[in-house]
Amino acid sequence: MAETPAVQANPAKKSGRLYCKAVFTGYTRSHRNQKENTALLKIEGVINKEDTEFYLGKRCAYVYKARRLTACPGHDKPSRLRVIWGKVTRSHGNSGVVRAKFRKNLPSKAMGKRVRVMLYPSRI
Amino acid sequence: MPTSAKEPTVVTKKIGGDKNGGERQVRVKRMPRWYPTEDKPRKLKSHKNAFSQHKRKLRASITPGTILILVAGRHKGKRVVFLKQLNTGLLLVTGPYHLNGCPLRRINQRYVIATKTKLDIKGVTVPDRVNDEYFKRQKSKKPKHTEGDIFSTEKEVYTVSEERKEDQANVDRQILDVIRKQKEKKLLFGYLGSLFSLSNNQFPHKMAF
Repeated sequence: MAETPAVQANPAKKSGRLYCKAVFTGYTRSHRNQKENTALLKIEGVINKEDTEFYLGKRCAYVYKARRLTACPGHDKPSRLRVIWGKVTRSHGNSGVVRAKFRKNLPSKAMGKRVRVMLYPSRI
Repeated sequence: MPTSAKEPTVVTKKIGGDKNGGERQVRVKRMPRWYPTEDKPRKLKSHKNAFSQHKRKLRASITPGTILILVAGRHKGKRVVFLKQLNTGLLLVTGPYHLNGCPLRRINQRYVIATKTKLDIKGVTVPDRVNDEYFKRQKSKKPKHTEGDIFSTEKEVYTVSEERKEDQANVDRQILDVIRKQKEKKLLFGYLGSLFSLSNNQFPHKMAF
């Protein structure tokens, strides 16, 4: 890193949270049947249908840990962290819940767990 | 058809049979058996464009001098100054390097939040050589099989070229000058050096950037 003579290079600061917290509440469903290809996410702080407009199209990630180490892109050391990527497709109902489709359907044990809604692809 | 000096188009050949004249003028090269119905077939208009012909759009919120928040990539969270849009549509951006460690860099609009804070960089000139070619990844030359190990895996460590350092210093000097002229320069220096992150009870859909 280029440094001016008097100033020491600052240690690289680690970025904070750059995603919105959301919870996977369940799959789209009727009373007795569910369709696992679409997940319902409740994003923190979003309580109206108008509020969901910001989040449409945003990428989401369900991050979880597994027992076996797997290779990680961009890192030499394998890690136990795994991700299922998806995106917010549309709003669901009037209270700010949002539908999302993931590349692989979310596992049911993810219900009630954290899903990260990223701030990209950004439209602002 | 004009006969060139060397090649005759018509040749005289002897034929057999009685009362036939004994000879025929025969073409050396035969005429084609098939002719297309249209001399120049009409091409249907294709709306497929090559990448270089694509229309580049830029969000109205992003103008030269805007401070952007990078939301993905290795510089995520950093607030950087937007310089201009390159020919491929990517945004040219700089930290400035001394403030937040982000060099002259290209990023995609989609990974950027534009803030309403703008600097007046009308006087800032970016060197002409800083374009898409400048930032293109250099392909490492493949060693010939006869030279040494076929399996030698020497990862080439990236070192910053002198060219880059020069251009970085040049552009940054101009931008830092612009910032120093502002009344709120101390605030701006701090702002550009800090990282963006979300904390409790902060929701992006309620925030004005």
